[in-house]
Amino acid sequence: MSPIDTSIGPDRARELFRAELADVRTDAELQALRMRWVGRKGSWVAAFMEALATATPEQKKAFGRGANELKNEVEAAITEREAALAATRQPANAVDITLPGRRPAFGHRHPLSLIRDEVGAIFTRLGYQVLEGPEIEDDYHNFEALNMPEEHPARDMQDTLYLAEPLRIGAGQPLTLLRTHTSAMQIRHMEQHAPPVRLVAIGPVYRKDNLDLTHTPMFHQVEGLVVGKGVTLADLKGTLAAMAEALFGTGIGIRFRPSFFPYTEPSAEVDIQCIKCKGSGCSMCKRTGWIEILGSGMVHPAVFEAVGYDPNEVTGFAFGMGVERVALLKWGAEDIRLFYENDLRFLEQFGL
Amino acid sequence: MKVLLSWIREFVDVPEPAEDIGKLLSVRGLALEGLESHGDDVVMDFDVTANRPDCLSMIGIAREIATAYNRPLTVPAAPPLTIGASVAVTIEAPELCPRYAGAVADVTVGPSPQWLQDRLTACGIRSISNVVDITNYVLLELGQPMHAFDLAKLGGGAIVVRRAKSGESITTLDGKVRSLTPEMLVIADASRAQAIGGVMGGADSEVSAVTKRIVFEAAYFKPSSVRATSKALGLKTDASTRFERGMDVTAPARAMARACQLLEQIGAGKASGTIQDVYPAPQPAASLVLERARLPGLLGMDVPDANVERILRSLGFTVAPHTGGPYGDGHPSDGWTVTTPSWRVDIKRQVDLIEEVGRHHGFEHLPSTFPGVQQAPASSDPRIVRDRRVRNALLGMGFSEAITFAFVEAIAAEPFLAGDSPVALANPLSEKFAVMRPSLLPGLIDAVSHNRRHGRRDVQLFEIGTRFSPRAETRGVGFAWTGLATADHWSGARREVDFFDLKGVVEQLAAVSLVTLTFVAADVPYLVKGRSAAIAVNGSTIGVCGLLDSGVGDRRDLPSGDAVYVGELNLDALTAAAPAETLRATPLPRYPWVVRDLSMLVDDTLSAGTVRGTIRSAAPVTLSEVREFDRYQGTGIPDGKISLSFRLTFQSPERTLTDEEVQAGMQHIIDALTRDLAATQR
Ligand SMILES: [Zn+2]
Repeated sequence: MSPIDTSIGPDRARELFRAELADVRTDAELQALRMRWVGRKGSWVAAFMEALATATPEQKKAFGRGANELKNEVEAAITEREAALAATRQPANAVDITLPGRRPAFGHRHPLSLIRDEVGAIFTRLGYQVLEGPEIEDDYHNFEALNMPEEHPARDMQDTLYLAEPLRIGAGQPLTLLRTHTSAMQIRHMEQHAPPVRLVAIGPVYRKDNLDLTHTPMFHQVEGLVVGKGVTLADLKGTLAAMAEALFGTGIGIRFRPSFFPYTEPSAEVDIQCIKCKGSGCSMCKRTGWIEILGSGMVHPAVFEAVGYDPNEVTGFAFGMGVERVALLKWGAEDIRLFYENDLRFLEQFGL
Repeated sequence: MKVLLSWIREFVDVPEPAEDIGKLLSVRGLALEGLESHGDDVVMDFDVTANRPDCLSMIGIAREIATAYNRPLTVPAAPPLTIGASVAVTIEAPELCPRYAGAVADVTVGPSPQWLQDRLTACGIRSISNVVDITNYVLLELGQPMHAFDLAKLGGGAIVVRRAKSGESITTLDGKVRSLTPEMLVIADASRAQAIGGVMGGADSEVSAVTKRIVFEAAYFKPSSVRATSKALGLKTDASTRFERGMDVTAPARAMARACQLLEQIGAGKASGTIQDVYPAPQPAASLVLERARLPGLLGMDVPDANVERILRSLGFTVAPHTGGPYGDGHPSDGWTVTTPSWRVDIKRQVDLIEEVGRHHGFEHLPSTFPGVQQAPASSDPRIVRDRRVRNALLGMGFSEAITFAFVEAIAAEPFLAGDSPVALANPLSEKFAVMRPSLLPGLIDAVSHNRRHGRRDVQLFEIGTRFSPRAETRGVGFAWTGLATADHWSGARREVDFFDLKGVVEQLAAVSLVTLTFVAADVPYLVKGRSAAIAVNGSTIGVCGLLDSGVGDRRDLPSGDAVYVGELNLDALTAAAPAETLRATPLPRYPWVVRDLSMLVDDTLSAGTVRGTIRSAAPVTLSEVREFDRYQGTGIPDGKISLSFRLTFQSPERTLTDEEVQAGMQHIIDALTRDLAATQR
């Protein structure tokens, strides 16, 4: 801080004041600054006034006006800074708002549960009813009614987990196995309801698959079934295209590849455009641009005959999709086993 | 199925690169699984679906390619064979083997020429000798499995196709002795079995370096018989896989001619007799009607008539205008009579024909449409809405959602069986997945254990899922809580979870389900006695809650000393207890309430529930709420006593209560407590 020296003139003094004001941080500093510049005694302004009183007319002419301007500026600037400091001042009962909040408890949804709900919501929007059903089944509903009689080679495609002892629950056949698909549920529904049918069945299914990156002995399935007059394969394509866009994003296309399932004819495996490269080819889609997502087709007439529908009167489509597969694709997870470890560090990545 | 591009090109003119062929076939029903170059050649590996055994051959794949590219398929005819003596073939079991062809040939056993060896190697088959290689070559080319016997080893020089005798056995080519049953078909000489039909040949009559005369076999075996035999013997071979899916009943003759032709072509020998082709009951070709209107009716796209006919003819069907339809004979609107080629064992119905037309016309031409709605959609499973309500409540109380496997280790299930036998699996993946869970808790305990062992201090998890007993599947909710009950916060006030945190969770679940629950002390093997409660509704138990027994926790590798509180509710029973009638809103009370506090000294053996019950039964109808707000034991309270404080709320829907009547009510309550429970007012 320079000593008070009126000989430097008011203009230079004004520059000094501005520099000192810029350093002021607190109320106390501001009060000290006020005393030093506009205090009644011993301040810069007082010194100028004194100097003015004893000045020659030439000197008066030289800085009389400047001294007044200095006084006005100093007072105005200090008042302004005073208001600015007051605005930032914390009240006496202030808290440190940068400390973490006390969070009310909430848990996280399981990712498979999120997908189940999302798919359920998509099909509810499309006018489907969402159904669940028993997980222990009889051979008839899981295989035979689905055009897979005892010796059918397709039974090899789904390695089945059997009960050590059959259960007799209710009036039907003894229950012998864990359902390998939710189609069993669809058979039960058709047995009890005349067409039209428009449903999705959602729930856990079981197969004798060893645990690895892409397999678990229990997984979840969403299966759709629509039966009515004039239902076509093109209707299936439109429906699955709508589902794919709703699940994976606008513009994600699908394609049908002819395939074989005993309970549908024609049958098609359905690919979606690779969600990573959008179809141009990458490691995720093995450079094909497409990723297999589900199996589908037109309900086989033998299935209609098994449930008492007339295949000459109605047609229908069906599709089945793995919930885990959708979850892996959608979230870029690489190990399906994570879904069954229930590690909170994993679960907490998914919201509510 | 691995095919060699050069071999395919012998039958169809496809100059296109293998990648392009693979791409097109993938959307026509044969997914390309792999592609690798093999010298100047390319091996293409196609995924052939179980219904298409005809495509397990070069000819089969070539036919699909020819149809996909609209090119002609050229199958070279093998010259007919005549001359000399031949082997005698007798079929004694035509129900298992409708057709059997045998031919005798003089051979010089040695290595095959290089080109033949190369082709087999490229397709994944090891070259053995010229004679055996020829059978494999024909298998790959035409799909017909063949076998060669050393004629010198066949007793009596004859072939008998019969069922195995009980007690009969055979040493198969892999050197193993197989016991046979009369359900199994064998190819025998005059005295004993020399091959298991359609599965594997016998070691005794195997072609060797010194073999001079052979019998070639090409036959049709019944799929279900081969399947059963292969399964019973635990013996799966390339031949059995094909026979059990269904072979072409006309192929044996063609295959035999081709084998004999190759024999001469590579200088390995010469057939020396006529082919003995025994086929006592030839099957007529099957024909189906393809109705014109059904095509767009099922596919939702139209296929021009010319294309329908081209596709079917190219695949080997014969197509003629259908007669006898509603439009008059031969009218194009009527459709076609289609005769199925013998190799297409999968074609049984009209829809199978529609699929053939549809896939080769191209699913990429399908428009995207939506099924029409004929009636209002029916409502969804009510459990979905119910489960969502419970799930949301638990999420809001800090529990994260778990999904565990529905099968658990037998020892983990054991404490939860409640007298039932477990629902065990006959063929579990491992001992870890041996029985269906009787409760959601074993899975949740394992999940808590996993989190604790991975350094997580506080764990709150729940699961909604199915529980299994020999009597029923029920849907339940389980929950587990260990660690802090409060948020871990810099301001302090941390507290570990206790029984009442868990009980509060159950009470909230009851509240969101509009059900009133009662709690009584529980005695279950997996909970600590004195820290656990059975939960009942309308007198029947629907769940439990409490502190997990440390022994149960130890067995699931929970860190010792962990206090884990768990609970489980039968959601189906909870739902059943909810009021069935539609909820009616009650108007808000119009008259003020009166609150009185009451502190009583009672024996410390008395439960708060008992005291509350006495208050309720002694109180006037205007008592609307009783709430414990303090419980104290210690300084100023005599030994063996506790001080219980209740806040009582009185209210009438009809009038403002007077001080006097509330006071009278309070006195009545105090008198009852004094009289019935020996309580004293503080
Ligand atoms: Zn990609």
